[in-house]
This record gives sequence, structure tokens and C-alpha cells, in this order.
Amino acid sequence: MQFEWIQIPYALLTLFIVLNFGLIMNAFVAKIGARVGRRHGIPIYQNYLDLIKNYGLRSSITHGMMFYLGPVFRLTGGVGLIMFVPTIYGSLMFSNFSFSGDLILALYFIFFGTLGMALGAGESGHPHAAIGISRGLSQVTMAELPLALAIFSIALQYQTLSVTEIVAAQQGGIQNWTLFTNPLAVAAAMLSFLGSVMRPPFDVVLAPQEIPIGPPTEYHSSYLALMQTNRVIYPIAKMVIFMNLFYGGADNWLVFFLKIFLIYMFAVFVGVVFPRFRVEQSIRWFLIWAVPIGVLAVVLV
Amino acid sequence: MVNAIFILVIGLGAAFLLGFLRDKRKLAYVVTLAALVSMAWIAARWLLFFAVDGGARTEIFTAGTLPPFAINLHLGIAEAALMLLVILCGLFSAIYMQNTLMRLGRRMMSVLLVFVMSLCGIILTRDVFNLFVFFELAVIATAGLILLCEDKRTFAAGFKYLIISQIVSILLLVGIIFAYHASGSLNIDDMAAMSSGTLKGVGSLAFFLMLMAIMTEAKPFPANGWALDIYESAHPAFSALFSAAMAGAAAVYAIDKLLLIGASQWLPVVTAIGLLSFVAANLLALVQTNDRRTLGYSSVGQVGLILVVIGQRDILGEHYLYIVGGILLSHAVAKAGLYWLSGLLSQRKLTDWSALRGHPLLIFAFVSFVAMLTGLPPFPSFYAKWDLVMLLAAENRLWILALILIATLLEAGYLFRWFGYIIKREKETDKQILSLASHKLAVVLSTAVISWGLAYLWGELSAHGNLLYALPLLFALSFLLLDQLPARIKNSLSIAGMVAYFMVSYPTYDPLQLIFGAIFLLGSSVILLASYHVSGRRVGFYPSALLMFAGLTLLIVAKDAFHFFAAWEFLTIGSYFLILRGKHSEPHALSYVIFSLGGAFLILAGFALAAQGISPFPLESLAQVAKPIAPWVFLLLAIGFMTKTAVIGLHIWLPGAHAEAETDVSPMVSGILLKAGLFGLMVLLMNMGKQSLYGVELTYVMLWMGALSAFLGNLMAVFQEDAKRLLAYSSIGQMGYALFGLALMNQLGWLMALMFVINHYIYKSMLFLSIGGIAKRTGTRDMYKMGGLIALMPLSFIAVLIGIIAVSGVPPLSGFGGRWIFYNAILESEYRLPMMLIFISGPIAFLYLFRLIHTIFLGQLKDEHRQIKEAPFWILLPQMIYVVALMIFAVVPGLAMRHVDAYLSPFFEGQGLNWEGFTITSHYGYWSPVSIMIVVAVIFATLFAWLLFVNRKAQKVKQFNIVYSAERPFRPETTHFAWNFFAPYRKALGFLMQPYVTRFWETMMDLLHSIADLSRRFYTGNGQTYGIQLLAFVVIVYLFKMEF
Amino acid sequence: MVYVAMVTGFILILMGLYGALTNSNILRMIVAFSVANTGVNIVLVAVGYIDGRTAPILDAAVPVAEAAVRIIDPVPQALVLTAIVIGLGVTTLMLAYAYKLYEIKGTLDIAQFSELKW
Repeated sequence: MQFEWIQIPYALLTLFIVLNFGLIMNAFVAKIGARVGRRHGIPIYQNYLDLIKNYGLRSSITHGMMFYLGPVFRLTGGVGLIMFVPTIYGSLMFSNFSFSGDLILALYFIFFGTLGMALGAGESGHPHAAIGISRGLSQVTMAELPLALAIFSIALQYQTLSVTEIVAAQQGGIQNWTLFTNPLAVAAAMLSFLGSVMRPPFDVVLAPQEIPIGPPTEYHSSYLALMQTNRVIYPIAKMVIFMNLFYGGADNWLVFFLKIFLIYMFAVFVGVVFPRFRVEQSIRWFLIWAVPIGVLAVVLV
Repeated sequence: MVNAIFILVIGLGAAFLLGFLRDKRKLAYVVTLAALVSMAWIAARWLLFFAVDGGARTEIFTAGTLPPFAINLHLGIAEAALMLLVILCGLFSAIYMQNTLMRLGRRMMSVLLVFVMSLCGIILTRDVFNLFVFFELAVIATAGLILLCEDKRTFAAGFKYLIISQIVSILLLVGIIFAYHASGSLNIDDMAAMSSGTLKGVGSLAFFLMLMAIMTEAKPFPANGWALDIYESAHPAFSALFSAAMAGAAAVYAIDKLLLIGASQWLPVVTAIGLLSFVAANLLALVQTNDRRTLGYSSVGQVGLILVVIGQRDILGEHYLYIVGGILLSHAVAKAGLYWLSGLLSQRKLTDWSALRGHPLLIFAFVSFVAMLTGLPPFPSFYAKWDLVMLLAAENRLWILALILIATLLEAGYLFRWFGYIIKREKETDKQILSLASHKLAVVLSTAVISWGLAYLWGELSAHGNLLYALPLLFALSFLLLDQLPARIKNSLSIAGMVAYFMVSYPTYDPLQLIFGAIFLLGSSVILLASYHVSGRRVGFYPSALLMFAGLTLLIVAKDAFHFFAAWEFLTIGSYFLILRGKHSEPHALSYVIFSLGGAFLILAGFALAAQGISPFPLESLAQVAKPIAPWVFLLLAIGFMTKTAVIGLHIWLPGAHAEAETDVSPMVSGILLKAGLFGLMVLLMNMGKQSLYGVELTYVMLWMGALSAFLGNLMAVFQEDAKRLLAYSSIGQMGYALFGLALMNQLGWLMALMFVINHYIYKSMLFLSIGGIAKRTGTRDMYKMGGLIALMPLSFIAVLIGIIAVSGVPPLSGFGGRWIFYNAILESEYRLPMMLIFISGPIAFLYLFRLIHTIFLGQLKDEHRQIKEAPFWILLPQMIYVVALMIFAVVPGLAMRHVDAYLSPFFEGQGLNWEGFTITSHYGYWSPVSIMIVVAVIFATLFAWLLFVNRKAQKVKQFNIVYSAERPFRPETTHFAWNFFAPYRKALGFLMQPYVTRFWETMMDLLHSIADLSRRFYTGNGQTYGIQLLAFVVIVYLFKMEF
Repeated sequence: MVYVAMVTGFILILMGLYGALTNSNILRMIVAFSVANTGVNIVLVAVGYIDGRTAPILDAAVPVAEAAVRIIDPVPQALVLTAIVIGLGVTTLMLAYAYKLYEIKGTLDIAQFSELKW
């Protein structure tokens, strides 16, 4: 696959669709969460308002160069991740820049934004930001391990690292999905997924309900807007990978929306049911429950 | 040619002559020196006659009668050389003791002459009774010379010696008379000529008594308490004679002669006694604090080693003289030199030797002597030990080989510890410890010159060629002469030399050598740019650094095992000196050198086992090593090389050594030196391939070792507070990755390892330089004491930022390439489990990398750092070069890698990569560094430009302008979250951090020291006990001999 | 006869060694060593002795032509002479040392001279 200029508008289109879908889905999920808690919840367009407001705000404050770069790194990570994986199977239009690299590129590019934002938050000089990063990084080391194992397992299974080829191998019926051909790998990956979406029980990094803690503490106005944009795009980018690897991919946008929504709902369900773990508890949880499944997946494939 | 008997005549005559020179001390002294000089001249003439003109051995008859009816003397090359050694030793000691001799007068001078003469007699004579007479003369002279020292304790030591010598003479006389009874002759050659049946029964016992009597004069463990007491208390010049000439030359030669009679059945006895002495003496020396007693133990050990060689002469064949000579001369020169050196100091503790600091020539002499004793190249003992070990392995005498190497390691341990004291211990400035009399200085320095002369000579005689001819080595040594120049000039010379050498030699390198050669020569030149920041002379830095680089350079071009090993030793010594330069690096440098030498000895043993006597042994022949020993060879070599790459378990030397080193040394020893171990492993694996031992595949074990190193190295890095230690632990992890890649044994794994070689060199050098620069400015290496330095040191920040992105393997920088190849490599591999550890070590790396950049550059600036400046220009310059190099290597890794890929393909079954165009493809996936870089850069630039535009009016706020729990923080110390940064992680996984390995090695060390401390109490200091020990020793040896 | 001398010699050696290694007084040790030396000398002579022969002195009683079959082995006797001389030298030296040691410490107990150890 080679680069052609037309791919740039196509990629932007993908981005646009994903962004809107994400905004709506997030609000929808928030509403579901509120209803479960017998509250009314936010209007479905709330996220648009927030985003537009924050983009519209002008700040006259900065904490330094890295403070600037943090959100840039963050959003580059999210957008880049979308760009490096094909969204719709079989569609040249929506395969983005996936010719740049395969699954491994996506797997490692996930960290690009994390690292950048951590740096930016660090420069704000706020101890809460640093504490949040310390917690987040600690948790992610163990949360990512089952995913890495699962990916190794399915790479062994399909003998390829190309996302497109893995999706291709799952076509022709639901029974060909990795979910059924390699259930252990999928289980490990889904448990890992819980650790990366910042929902309970693994959301101590942000602790969104009580105090202004976590990496974004000092961010406001357009800095925050960039990060909010990323919070919309990034989980979807990640779920696109999951969908492609485990659930047969999507050959049109409708299937795409449905699958992404269902994958996300898995994390939401777990989140509303379970209370929050402390960091060392979540590390042990992943080590005891998720990692062995991943190891089994690797050994038995 | 003057008859050699004149050596004895002159000695004795001059001694008598001195009796007439009452009140003419100066004249007497001149006569003494003249006698010694003329004796030395005769011996030297004979030596030249034998060595250069190839003269035949001659017999000297006395009393006009042929043996056995009269005494005959025998003169060959060995006798001539030993006599020259003894006489020169005596001459040097006489010069050294000028003041003492002048004070004590002619009597003492004549005793000295008699002593030297009697030692020559011991060497020359072929008559056992004459041997007895000369030994008794030597004893009497010794008892006289012991009185040279003003130390009152020497009287007791001398009396103990007399007790022992009484027992010895009883044993010897009884032995002689029964040997005479059995053989009817007193002539050694006659006795030897008799059929061995003659010496059965009583004759055998008689021989045993003679042997043990003479053996006692060589001071074997444990019948040697008296000797140690003499070594400790006598005048150092006499101790030099006593050790180098009496025990180390005359006594061992007498044993060698005597063994002609006993023949081969007694060789094992001599070997066993020698081995016991060599091991035990070096063990006991570990706990000594007195310098001369330490040297005494070392003497006992070295003489033990000579005995081992004598005992092994049945297999040494034509190499016997070369080997025993190399070891004997090395010991004699080095030990005498050290004793003479000790006479310059007035205090007796080992730590008092720090007084030598500031006297580079004396330190150079000390280093030469220590290197000689421990058998380091290019000294004779190195060549000799190599040949000895090769022959021992070829004859399957592996226990002897192992014990020799262990004892040598022990010896190296306490000698290098001593050297550490000299370089690092506080000097007591109020006391005048060192006195530099010019005649003493001349003796010490000319001994050092002689040691190098011998090094040259043994190199010339060696079958492997002279190591001193290697250009890089000469280049390094030449800096010893240039050491007076300013550091900057030497720096320019070094860089020019290394770059020029690379330009000349790179066309001959294959792609693999080219990668390593470029790192070793060009890479180190870049690091040396940082050395421009040091002004002054920087004494000792350049010889050490260049010695290390010379070793590295020679390593990659080495064709056979000998040169490979010599290069390995050179780089070890050079790097040891470099590491030792750090302010607090004394213990770390010591553990480095001990681990390195231990590893080196394993390599030596491995080569010896593989060669089976073939010499020279080309490295390619490793491939032909046959089945039963091949896995053992593999094991030995692999562990040896892995010591250098600091694989987990053998890593405890690394953090301290790398962290405490100087700013520009850390990148050298981390970025460059670690690669030597990888190169060794590559050579090993390329030639030997997969090996299995007891059904365990060794490469599979290496795979686990690599994975464990990667995991634990990274994990330990997470919990460091010291920035350089963090980087050091990270190196352990990185080397683990590389080792893992090699152990995969497929082409992609090797590519990954090479990727790590290049990447690790670039980013670790860069990070060490940045951190070094910061530590220089802030005066601390503890990260939590820093913070907020980004505005003050922006360039250092950029270097660290780029560095950590690269280390972590995040695209688009070059670290990702390594990770991508890793995934492809493991897909090809048949193993699955060890990968798990690598998977987790990647994210763990984020923890310490983030901490590195956050706690230093981000967060809150400390009050005491508000005024600091950016790091010095010369430290920054290489960092910026590295940033550019990293970018280039990230975008076009194929420049370096495609050639290696092609070069490696014949060695492995698996496929390589396809480097056509901009996209790199493998069997499994693809990767296009250029498009990744473009996509990321475009998105990044767009967003950044937009944010800049939107917030163009933003102002940088003051430090504490943050939202903070309804308070306004005002102290950076309480606001900067940095110390124990990953506390929850420690709670969760801290149990993995128990320092089991460190504790293991510490316990080993404690155990050795406790054993040594307990067993040395065996030397009670009571002369009678020593006598009983001697008798018991004789009886026990006899019982053992009867048993086997 | 030879055996008596030989056995006596060895007994003296053992006695001497025992004495030297059990008496802690330095002078007694020296005496004991002298005893042992005497024993050695007797052994030396005894080894050279051949039953029924005469002393190796060539005079009217023993003509040169018959010497080889009539005299005992002269070599051990020569050795003994040398050994006695050397033994004397060493004993003298030991006595001198004993004197010096007594001067230093005012005692002749060998156990007191053990500052140098380990």
C-alpha cells in the first residue's frame, strides 16, 4: 500500500466521524451511569458544549514549554493511533495511514500520548499531577501485560502482525472471530482493557469524583480542550484495535458503531458494579487474574 | 668466558677481604658492590652465551676429580638466569640498603655476600651434601641479615627460623645419608641415573626426607609461620632477597634438581603441596592489614604456584622452561620491587600506602608489579599462565586448572584492593610517611623498567607473537610518556589517533566488526569530546582510557583465542583504572575488577578446554569442539562474557561502578564497554550455536537470563533515587534485551541485539552525559534534590527527552525499531514463556524514564538551584551530536542494519528483513520509519501551531501559582513530589526487590574472610608450634603419599 | 653393633626433637637440638660403618692396594665432620640470639616471643 494525497482528506473524515461518535457515546454512557444511580444525568449534547466552551476560552497562563507540549503530545498520540490502524475492513477510504506500520506500531504508539501528557503535567509543578502520573504509570505496567500476551498469542495464531490480515482471517461468520477461536487471549485482553479506560475499579489515577487530582489538574481552557478531545478519540482508537483483533473488525460504519459501543459497555458495566481499587491492589489484581490467563493464551495457542 | 665457579670465588673472597677493611666502611661498601657487579657480569655473560649463542650446558669439576668423588657444578641456561636474578637482587638490595650497611659495617656486608654466594651455590651444585652445606650457609647468613632491621621483633623471627632450620637440617642429613646408602653416590645425576628401583623402601623414605627438607625452605603452607614472621619484620630489602632469591629462585630450583632423583612419582606430591600453598596463602592474605605480611603471604602463594608448575613438568615438555621462567621471574621481579617499594614508607598499614598518591612514577611501578603478580598482559606471567592453562586442559588436569585460577583471583582481589587504597584512601597529611631517597627510588624504578623489559622479552619468545607490537596498545602506552602534557592536548591527540585508526582499518572489517569498530573508535571519540571540559593535566586518565579502547579495538580483530583473551584483559584493566578514578568508587571498582577477572578466568578456562592443546587456537575452531566438552566450553565462555554484560546474578558490580565514575567515564564504561561482552557472546554463538547440557538447552537458559535481566534491571532502576544509578540499572535491563535477542538464535533476534547495541550506545552515552552535566552543576546526583531545571538547562532537557523517548521504544524514535524486530523475532522462535518478562519490562521502563525527566527537570525548582547555568559546552556538544544521530538512525535504520542483515543470513536458518525502499518488511509485518515520522510530525506540528496561536498571549506564571487544596504552597521541597516516587509500586512489587544477589555475594565474601581469619590463627607466633607444624606436615604428606 | 649405634642415634634424634619442641626455655631448646644433632651424627657414622673393617686411614696397617676391601666407607665420616662444624655454627648463632632475646624481654620463655603472628 502506498501513499496518495487523497488519503489525507479520507483520514480527516475518519477522524471527524470518530470524534462525533465518541462525543455522543460518552454522553450516552454518562447518562446510563446516572440513570443507574437514579439521577437524571447530562443532556446528550453536553460534551459538545463543554468542548466548544473550552476551545473558545482564551488563557493567559502557562507553566512553561512542556506545559504547552503536553496536550499536543497527548492528542497527537490519540489521533496518530487512529491514523495507524485501519478502521473499516476492506475500505481503502478508511484504512488511513496503516501502511506506516503494523500492530506493533499501534501497540507502542499508545504510550506516545501518555508520556507526553505526563511530561506536561509534570511541568505544571503540581504535586497532585505528579502523584497521578506515578499512580497511572504504576498501574499501566501491569495492566498492559495481559494485552501484550494476548497480542502475542493471536500473532502466533494468525502468523502475522498485520492488522488487516488478522481481520481478513476472521471473516466469514461469527465463529471465525478470535473471540471464539482464541477465547483465552480475548479474555486476557478484555481484562487489560478495564485497566486502560479510566473507569472504576481502576480509576484511582484520575479520581474524578472527589478532588482535582491527576495529570490534568492544572490544565484549563484550550489546553484542557485538546485533552478532552483526546479523551474522546483515544479510547475509541484503542477499541478499534480490539475490534479488529478480537471481534472480526467492521466492514461498515454501523457495525463499527455497534461493536465499539458494546466493547465500551463492558467496561462501563464493570465500572458501575465494582468499587475502586488502590494502585497496589489493582497491580496485584492484574497479576493474579489477568496475567495467568494471558500466559495460558500464549502457551495453548 | 670466565669460569662460573668464580661467582662463588668472588663472593666468598670478597667476604673474606672485607674482614681486612676495618674502619674503611666506604671502601668496604665499594668492594661489596664491585663483587656483586662482577658476579652479575659473569652470570650475564653465561646467560648470553646460552641464550644468544646457543651454547651447550657445561659441567664444572672441582678438586681435580670427577663426580661422584668430588663436587661438580652444573651450568645451563636455567642456572645462569637464576644466578643473574639472585645476584642482581642482591646488588639492588645492597644499593638499597646503602645507609644501613654503612651503619652496620663490613660484617654485615660480608654476610650479604655470603648469602648471595650460597644461593648461587645452591643453584649450581649437583651434589646433595653440598646442597646441604650451601643451605646451611644461607641459613646462617639469613640469621645474620635478619638483624639488619631495627625492629626488635625480628630477633624472635630469626630465632624461629633457626628452630626450623635445625629440624630441616636433621631431616636433610638423615635423608642424605640414607640416600647415599641406597645409591652409593651423593651426586644428583648419579642418583637420578639409577633405576627407580634403587629408591624403593629406605631409599624412597630418604628421598622423601630430602625433598621435604628442601621444600620447607620454599616455605609451603602450612609449615611456614616462621617465614611470614620474617617477611613481616625483616628489612624490606632483605625480605626482597628472601622472597625473590631464596624461596622463589634457589629453593625451587633445588627442588627441581632433586626431582630428577625422585622422578615422576613425586611430581603429584609437589603439585599438591604447591596448590595447597597457592590457594591457602592467597586466602589468608585476604584479611591481612600489614603490607609486608601481605606480601609474605603473596610470596608463599607464588612460590606455591611455581611448585605446581614444577610438579606438572611431565606434561609441559619443551614449554617447561618458558612457563616456569615466566612465572618465577614475574614473581621475583614484582615481589622484590614491592618489598623495595614498601621500604619507602614508614607506616605499615596497607591503607598508609595512600602516601604514594601524587607520585605517578611510583604508582606506575606498583601497577606494573601487581599486574605481573596477577598474570596480566603483557607481562611474562600472562604468557606463561596461558600456556600452562592450555596444557593443563589438554591433559585433562582440570582440578589443578580450577584451583590455580581461583587462587589467582583471590590474589588479584587483595592486590587490587590495595591499589584501591593507594588511589582512594585519605592521605594523612600531618605525617611524613613517604621518604624518597634517590638510591632507593632508583632501585624501585629500575625494577619497574626490568619488569617491562621482561614483558618484551617474553613476548619475543612467545609462540603467539609479541603483544607489545600491537599498534593500539603502543598508542595507549605512549600516553604514559605524554602524561605531563595538558589534558586538552592529550584529548586532541587521542581523538585524532582513534579516528585515524578507524579510517585506516575499517575497509578490512566485516559488517559486524564495522558496527562494533565504529562504536569503539568513533563512538569513543565523540564521548572524548566531553573530556575537553576538564582542564589541567588529568594524570593517568588517558593511558587508562586508551588502554581500554586498545583492548576493545584488538578484541574485534582478534583471530585466535590468545589474542582475544589478551585484548579482553587489556580492556578490563584499562576500564578498571578508569572506573577507579571516580570520587567514591573504591569499593565499586574493586568489585568490578574482581567480577571481570573472574569472568576472564572462566573465558580462559573455556578456551583452554576447547583448544585441547591446539595452539594457536583460531576462534572459528570453536565450531569444531566435539560433543562431551562442547557444552562445558560454551557454559564457561558464556558466563565469562555475561559477567561483562552484567547479567542478573553477576550484575552487582555495575551500578556502583557506572554511577560513581567520572562524568565522561560513565558513558564510556556504559555505552561502550558493555558491548565487549555482547561481542564476545556473538563470537561464541556464531561459532558454537546451540548447545545442550544434561538435556537443558543452554541458549534457552540464556534466554531466561536475558529476560530476567531485562525485567529485574528495569524494576530496580525504578526505585533508585540516584540518577546515575538509575541509568546504570537501566543498562542491566538493556543488556538483558540484547542478550535475549542473541539467545533467540535467529537472524531477527540478532538484528534486534545489534539494534540495541547501536541504540544503547547512543542514548545511554547521551543520558549519562546529560545527567553528569547536571550533577556537576547541582552538586548532587539525588534526583529528589533537583527539580524544575528545564528552564535553566534546556539543552540538557532536550537530550534527556529525546533519550527517554528512544529508550522507551515509543515511535517515532529509534528505540521502536528494536521493539518491532523483537516481536518479529519472537514469532519465529519456538519459545514462548520467557517473552513474558520482556513484555512487562517495557512498560516498567516508562516508570524510571519518566521519573528521570520529571524529578530533575519538571516540578518545583529548588532555591539553591536558582542561579545555576546550563551544563558546560563540551559536555553538551556530544549530546547534541547524539540527538542528531538518534534522529537519523530512527528514520533510516537500514543504513547500518541492512549490511549486517545480509552478513548474518548465512549463519541462521530464519529469514532476515527486506530493506527495499522506505518500508522494512518481515515475514510477519511491516514498518515504515519514514512515514511514521512524517505522520507524527505533521499531526504534532499542526496541533502545536494551533495551540501556540490560540494561547499567544499566555504568560509564564510564577512557580507556586497552582491550585493547591486551598493553600498557597511556598516551599519547593514540600511541593516537589519526587522522593520514593513509585511508592505504590514498591508496595505491590517490592518483594521482588530483596537484594538476594547482593546478599549472596556479600555472604560469599564474608565467608571467605571468616575462613581466612579463623585459619590464620593457626600461626600462633610460637616458634615451637611452628616446629611441631613442620613435623606434622612432613608426617601427613608422607601418609598421603603412601595412601595414593 | 651397627644397629645399636643406629638405634641410639635415632633415639637421640627423637629425644632431641621432643625436648626442643616441649621445653619452653630457649636454652633448653638449644641443648635439645644439640642432642638431636649428635644423634644425627651418630646415624651418619653408623650408616657408613661396615662390620669387620677398620677406620679409613691409609697407613702402614692398611696399604692402598687393599684399602677398598679393608676400610669402611670414608664418605659419611667426612660428612659428619662437616655437619659437626655447621652444627656448631648454628648452635652458636642460636645462643647469640638467645642472649639478644633475653636482653630485649628479660625472659627466655619462647612463648613470650609471639608478637608476630597470624
